[in-house]
Amino acid sequence: MIKRIVCMAALLLSSPGWTQAPPLAKGQLRLPEFAALTDKASESVTVTLDPQLLGLACRFLNSEDPEQAAARQLCTSLTGIYVRSYSFDSDYAYPKADIDAVRRQLSAPGWSRLVEARSRKEQTDVDVYVLIDGGKARSLAIIASEPREFAIVNVVGNIDLEQLHALEGKFGVPQLEIETGKKSGVEKSPAPKK
Amino acid sequence: MSQDIENELRRALRPVDAPADFTARVMRALPPRPASAEVVMLDVVRSRAQPSWWSRFSTPAALAASLLVAIMAGRHVALEHEERQQLAGLEASRKLMQALRVTSQKLDLVYEAMQRPPPVTPPAEENRS
Repeated sequence: MIKRIVCMAALLLSSPGWTQAPPLAKGQLRLPEFAALTDKASESVTVTLDPQLLGLACRFLNSEDPEQAAARQLCTSLTGIYVRSYSFDSDYAYPKADIDAVRRQLSAPGWSRLVEARSRKEQTDVDVYVLIDGGKARSLAIIASEPREFAIVNVVGNIDLEQLHALEGKFGVPQLEIETGKKSGVEKSPAPKK
Repeated sequence: MSQDIENELRRALRPVDAPADFTARVMRALPPRPASAEVVMLDVVRSRAQPSWWSRFSTPAALAASLLVAIMAGRHVALEHEERQQLAGLEASRKLMQALRVTSQKLDLVYEAMQRPPPVTPPAEENRS
């Protein structure tokens, strides 16, 4: 009897639900926790909005506020938004290895780099990636790093580039001149380092 | 003949008054009457027989009070849940706006970088190529 209980317990503990992290949605990046950075950073923004929380957030957006109304329209097609953004008082106080680990996930099939912006003068690197599946953008990832700041943004869901285009001017989203339906993988390096 | 029989019968069956001591004799002939049992009313029976106001209304009152408490507790829990949900929703929407702002800030960086003119290649390099 005891043997049986031990076997059952071993079986339960070895099941994926106990030992592994919850499965990620398609297009969702496995972002490091960066827990140690929160204390070191002068400013930090950590947003984890899974489908459930995102749905709740959408319901509580004020339709009378133009910004929130636009966000509401956008978030209905999304299934998750994950942001890790940190600012520091000193240069390169963040572990580049963690950012590289995220970057490596973006080399998986399906992901394409939409924009690669490098500013030597400001030492700013920004990469925009999209996950294309069935001819549609299913996920967007932005990795931006500066000497005293870095941010990783992962927006999961049916990303309508038209909608993103329509958001230009709101929230300060710039005119990205994204051609909808255009094959991704457009790499632009307006200010390459070398 | 028949008249005689009839007369005989009438005579035989004529009503006769009971003798004076008839009742006494019958009563004497009866078995002795058992003493009537004393009925003692139990407290339970007495209380049932005459229910007090409290005993009559305590159960319905308790049920009503329980129902009222259940309704009030349910309402309180529902209100608390709604309040918690509202707080969570407001917090989530604040986070959502924050996330979109960070996203737009980073896209601004891309935009700025894209607007910058490409670095001018030195003429010496041009000659070399």
